[in-house]
Amino acid sequence: MSSPPQHVSAQIPARAEFVHVLRSVVASAAAHMNLSVDSIDDLRLSVDEACAQLLKAAPGASMLAVSIARTGLDVQVEVSADGDADPWPPERHDRSLAWQVLSGLSDEVTFERSPSGPAVRLRTHAVLEELER
Amino acid sequence: MSLRPEASDAELFARLPDEAAREELLIRNKPLADYLARRFSGRGEHAEDLAQVASMALLKSIDRFEPEREVQFSTFATVTIVGELKRHLRDRGWAVRVPRRLQELGLRVGKVVPELAQELRRAPTVPEIAKRTGISEDDVLEAMEASQAYATDSLDAPMSDSDGRLPADALGAEDMRLELMEGWASVAPALERLPAREKRILYLRFFEDRTQTEIAEEIGISQMHVSRLLAQTLSFLREHVGELELP
Repeated sequence: MSSPPQHVSAQIPARAEFVHVLRSVVASAAAHMNLSVDSIDDLRLSVDEACAQLLKAAPGASMLAVSIARTGLDVQVEVSADGDADPWPPERHDRSLAWQVLSGLSDEVTFERSPSGPAVRLRTHAVLEELER
Repeated sequence: MSLRPEASDAELFARLPDEAAREELLIRNKPLADYLARRFSGRGEHAEDLAQVASMALLKSIDRFEPEREVQFSTFATVTIVGELKRHLRDRGWAVRVPRRLQELGLRVGKVVPELAQELRRAPTVPEIAKRTGISEDDVLEAMEASQAYATDSLDAPMSDSDGRLPADALGAEDMRLELMEGWASVAPALERLPAREKRILYLRFFEDRTQTEIAEEIGISQMHVSRLLAQTLSFLREHVGELELP
């Protein structure tokens, strides 16, 4: 197999019933980036949570997008929507359950504004030992 | 000891723990158990498995029935059997009709994860699992995903089911503090409705920062099962955020 992908992205219509597609894309990319099964499953849960927050905060969004990139052992995941979210981050977001869940599941989480709209950015990591592929 | 065929249920219960009386009660009520098992089949679950679960639950209800309480045995048995069937379906998590092939892959992956975790002293990666099991990486992923699947519309039912709780003494007092933590307070009423095991998993994952693999080992279930319970629990909580608005 050639070297693993360093960047994968995908987008879906901004509707809850498509979220599972983003979840699968992230899981599949993460597996190829050599994340542990624990981190992969945590990422799946994080994508669910992030999408739920974005759908709630940006009801007018038409697209949800995800991008996952690996630099060294660092893995960055960004989930974003293309609509207006006001306010973003939501008020007192750092005291919300979503924040607790997201920060519990990843090494770092930030709510940001991407060029297209509101975004949730997560950082996690791949395992140190690289497998011969 | 011989039994008069016309002995009433009440007489039979009075003679427990006599084996012949127990056997007779079992035979008399077997149709009820079978009927209930059939009502739960057709969800991708083997009919024989369900019949077996229902029979065991029937035995349990015979042993636990207290005739002095003014409840019909059939009512008591129905509640017990339905509870056990639901619990079985939930624990197996196959209520969403996971294809047979994926169930089998899931079982194989589930077996290998703790082995590898022990050898590597960390959770394994997908390529490592693929290599060990001989299953392709895509299939490993698919099996993991299927094991995290659950029927969204059935969330409320199993969650409020009081069966499947850990004995109270297996729980630390720390579990009770979950709702006092920032963020989690907003779902305090929903947290209260969680089965003890799910609550404990939340606590271990989010307050003790334990990994899913570590939690699996501590609770004695597979990592995939932990993953599924977490997905289910978080989704359940998300639906109940804001029931208790804080000032």
